[in-house]
Amino acid sequence: MFIRIGDMDNVFGAMDLLRNKMDQFLDDFDKSYDYGSGLSFISSGPRTALYEEKDAFEIRVEVPGIAKEDLNITLQGNYLEITGSRTIDAPEGYKVHRSERGTRSFSRNFTLPDGIDAEKVEAALRDGILYLKLPKSEVARPKQIAIG
Amino acid sequence: MNQRNEIAKTKESGIKRASNLKTAIPAVDIYENENEIILHADMPGVVKEAVSVNIDNGTLSLSGVRTLEKKGDPKWEEFGNVEFIRSFSVPQTIDIERVEAELMDGVLKLCLPKSEAAKPRQIEIKTA
Repeated sequence: MFIRIGDMDNVFGAMDLLRNKMDQFLDDFDKSYDYGSGLSFISSGPRTALYEEKDAFEIRVEVPGIAKEDLNITLQGNYLEITGSRTIDAPEGYKVHRSERGTRSFSRNFTLPDGIDAEKVEAALRDGILYLKLPKSEVARPKQIAIG
Repeated sequence: MNQRNEIAKTKESGIKRASNLKTAIPAVDIYENENEIILHADMPGVVKEAVSVNIDNGTLSLSGVRTLEKKGDPKWEEFGNVEFIRSFSVPQTIDIERVEAELMDGVLKLCLPKSEAAKPRQIEIKTA
């Protein structure tokens, strides 16, 4: 019933090798990934990112080729919804070799933590990325509490 | 006691990339008519200075580097700094001198006109 030390060692050796291979595999996978038809890579819509600063949140959304008029941003309480549609800018009368970008309407929504000052939200569209600045209301900002 | 096979010990010494920048393949649309080939590539967040378009020996390579300023504490990041890179084979009939590129709203638009010699021509049959 005693397992030989040599055998156990071999088992762990194999596990180590498997783990290294998996690490490399996942590394390579991360390094280069297919953006594909950008708007539908993530099934819910375009890629987004959320950053938190001391007194504001910043949301960024990848929306290449979309004009200001095609975007719709609504904020209701702390529920934020971003919708838009991209019209295809294909020239008429050309033969299509490849069409990966797709033409679609998209929608992403977020429930933000409490305390967004809805009056002071700013949005800017630059180089195909939408930047949303959502300042926190007074209540939500971190406060130092002095010990009396 | 410690018998490990040579194979288990060998680490693969692949060539390491110079930078740690992730690469991504931009989505493209390619259109063609008898005068030119048009290519649209999605590269959101890339500015003009960071794009390079090269045509060499029948290969068109696009590269756009996106660097976004870091701001605050990332809670949720589905995209970041990335290099968009893709290459295509183009026919030799493209007139390299007249290629035009435009970057707007994160979309790179390339126009590759075909040289005169390559345009389709009707060949007239003379009766002898």
